[in-house]
Amino acid sequence: MKRLVLLIGIVFSAFGGYSAGEQELVVRGNKAYSAGAYTDAVNSYKKVIALGWESPELYYNLGNAFFKLNDLPNAVLWYERAKRLAPGNEDIDYNLKVANGKIADKIEPLPEMFYKRWYFSLVQLFSVDGWAWIGVIFFLLALCSAMVYFAARVLIFRKIGFWSSLATLALALFFFLFAWSGYRSIQSAREAIVFTPTITVKSSPDDKSTDLFVVHEGTKVRLLDNISGWYEIRIANGSVGWLPASSLEQI
Amino acid sequence: MGGKYAIMNTGSRMLFFLSWILLVLFSAGRVQGQEIQLTGSARSTVAVGETFTLTYTLNAQGAGFRGPNIQGFEVLSGPNTSTSSSIRSINGRTSMTITYTYTYLLQATREGSFDIPAASVSVDRKTFTSNTLNIKVVKNAGGSSGASGHGSGGTQGGRNAGESGAGSIGAGDVYVKAFASNANPLQGEGIVVTYKIFTKVPIAQINISKLSSFSGFWSQNLMKENDKLQQTTQVINGEQYVVADIRKIALFPLKSGRLVIDPLELECIAQVRKQTRTRTGDPFFDDFFNDSFFSSNIANVEKNLKSNPLVITVQPLPESGKPLDFSGAVGSFTFQSELDKTRLKSNEAVNLKCTITGQGNLQLIDKLGVTFPPDFETYDPKVTSDIKTTATGVSGTQTFEYLMIPRKPGQFTIKPINFTYFDIGKKRYVTISSPAYNLTVEKGTGDGTAMVTYSGSGKEDIQYIGSDIRHIKDKRFPLSVKGYRFFGSTAFWLLLAIPLLLFIVFLLLWRKLAARRSDAQLMKNLKATKIAKKRLAKADQYRKASDQEAFYVEISQALWGYLSDKFSIPVAELSIDSVQEALQKKDVKEAIIHQFIDTLNNTEFTRFAPGEKNVNMERIYNEALEIISKIERELK
Repeated sequence: MKRLVLLIGIVFSAFGGYSAGEQELVVRGNKAYSAGAYTDAVNSYKKVIALGWESPELYYNLGNAFFKLNDLPNAVLWYERAKRLAPGNEDIDYNLKVANGKIADKIEPLPEMFYKRWYFSLVQLFSVDGWAWIGVIFFLLALCSAMVYFAARVLIFRKIGFWSSLATLALALFFFLFAWSGYRSIQSAREAIVFTPTITVKSSPDDKSTDLFVVHEGTKVRLLDNISGWYEIRIANGSVGWLPASSLEQI
Repeated sequence: MGGKYAIMNTGSRMLFFLSWILLVLFSAGRVQGQEIQLTGSARSTVAVGETFTLTYTLNAQGAGFRGPNIQGFEVLSGPNTSTSSSIRSINGRTSMTITYTYTYLLQATREGSFDIPAASVSVDRKTFTSNTLNIKVVKNAGGSSGASGHGSGGTQGGRNAGESGAGSIGAGDVYVKAFASNANPLQGEGIVVTYKIFTKVPIAQINISKLSSFSGFWSQNLMKENDKLQQTTQVINGEQYVVADIRKIALFPLKSGRLVIDPLELECIAQVRKQTRTRTGDPFFDDFFNDSFFSSNIANVEKNLKSNPLVITVQPLPESGKPLDFSGAVGSFTFQSELDKTRLKSNEAVNLKCTITGQGNLQLIDKLGVTFPPDFETYDPKVTSDIKTTATGVSGTQTFEYLMIPRKPGQFTIKPINFTYFDIGKKRYVTISSPAYNLTVEKGTGDGTAMVTYSGSGKEDIQYIGSDIRHIKDKRFPLSVKGYRFFGSTAFWLLLAIPLLLFIVFLLLWRKLAARRSDAQLMKNLKATKIAKKRLAKADQYRKASDQEAFYVEISQALWGYLSDKFSIPVAELSIDSVQEALQKKDVKEAIIHQFIDTLNNTEFTRFAPGEKNVNMERIYNEALEIISKIERELK
């Protein structure tokens, strides 16, 4: 029983462990945003983040405030961060699309295999934690079904219990797989936003190396390697080159 | 007048008559035998400056006419050859007459008496010579002599000595001329082109056969088709002409550059007096009948006339300061607009009236740039023109009436309407703006019903005006510790592990419980025979003590209890049926089951039955002992 209390405490701390101060700051930021004082809104939201809190909504609001200040790279950065916390959120996707429509670089993304795309969109249906929760619930259901199987004396209940416990267990494992692959894609896919208005991508981590192509602020790049203040990056169309770390902000 | 001339004509006619008689006399279809004559004729007296004709007539087919050496006269034209032939058939006889006429048009240049020597012509390789003529040229005495009636110049040109009596008209008698009010207008500036007919002869009818094509112009007729021609008289080069405007057109150049207006062509029928001659030879009589008073013999002469082409050089409008909304209006205008109401209910119509008044290419203004509020139902404007055409051009008013119906209540603004034109007088572009109109539309009473009729056709695609990001999340949302992730966290693993652990515990407990329960069953099972035998032994003691009541109870309990323990049947569920079922399940032989049930029944029966109590007890005891041992064997 003591264990259960401890568990509940831990679970709830994940959601509601905040004090009123953070929420007040968020409300202040929202009010400033609605009044058109976007700089104030940015400051309020950033304070909340500095206090060690996060939420997709908070990042989304901050992205909006940056967008209104015409700070596109920051807007894209925070939308991307919000998207990581809540993939598949329609509002975040929409605003990110609007912001991306305003940045200078139009990059044709490489097409992906259809099954990858499907799998990815399935994984994107819920956040990592969302999948984790669903998986946990299904795992509990599987245990309950197994209990029915063992305890029931009537044959039909035992049969139902047996098959449903197998099915829910399999589903729970799938959901954990989704959560894991979403988690892995975030962890392994290190991405960044270009913050320098215009910058030339080099062929090697050296200022004197050949200029390859030019990217502009707001463009999302994937980080491949990191050598002494330089990042090897790949843009959506597959082109690879090196950029100084100072011109990038990691998502 | 023309008397002497007539006499000479008569002479030639006599000759003709003679030759005709000869022809009839010889009655052959041939001209042979006819006397060939070349006769020269002209007026014997002419005035200085007068033109007259000198005519040689040959009554045969001639060739190689050699004209006289004419001295003292100026030859204006000639010799002009003309032929006439006629074939007649009288009483089956055919006759043919051929007349060759050689004509000179001469003008007397100085006074005096002049001889015109003979001319010659060859007919069938014979040469025939004409008579010589003597002509007296007198001083021009101001009209008493010479030409006084038919006018001068070309009137006589077409006259010949033949039979034709119809007169003709000369080039200068009637002509058409085009005038442009301004040969160098600006683009869009109106000019007036007038076609005038100048005539010295009466004109019976005018038909315009080909109008000018005003390519490059916008044209407007300033005269109605059936207008009566306004006649004026005008003296040109000392001659009096009747002048009438036949066409008057306002033209607005649509492009700059050199534009050519091609000529107008018309047919007119001029009335010319017939010059019939009397044969009296009496100058007085002749004159009398040829007088205009008796001009009953009037011939209609058709004549084709063509005007001069006009070249208009159109200057382009200045490019500097040309407003964007300039649509080509040139002239001088005023602009007014009027909204018939500013407060109305939805679905009521409101009328915006714009009026442009002034002089210029009004009718080229076909629309105004009116910006209506969105959601207003608008229609094409009703354009009314009230155009007056004056000698200087086109003026009047052009009215645009815009009907609009607001479908939704609200506050609306009609933006100022701009009218831009090029002012001819000021030589610059002028823009007149109307005020902005504010409209208050209230909710109409008939909104519901009116909207029903429009709802079907009034559906529109959503019009996207702009795009923006979506609004922030304003509702309170949960914050989580930064970097915290439930997946893989302790809570996550605990949430998985604890239920699993609880499940395992449950499973173990369950197993233990079940095992314990099954153990008790087994014990009972194992002890069943023992208990039964104990009870039977006890029953045997009661039998020996002849305690009948206790004996039967003990036997019954031994049998039932044995079944209950052996087959795990609760005591409450014990019955003959349940026992039978349980035994059948254990595959006990039907005969044994039957025996067992019989024993049970016998026990109950003999308990209350009369008879030898001890014998009965003995028998029941043995039966019970036997059946239990039989079942024991059977179950093994």
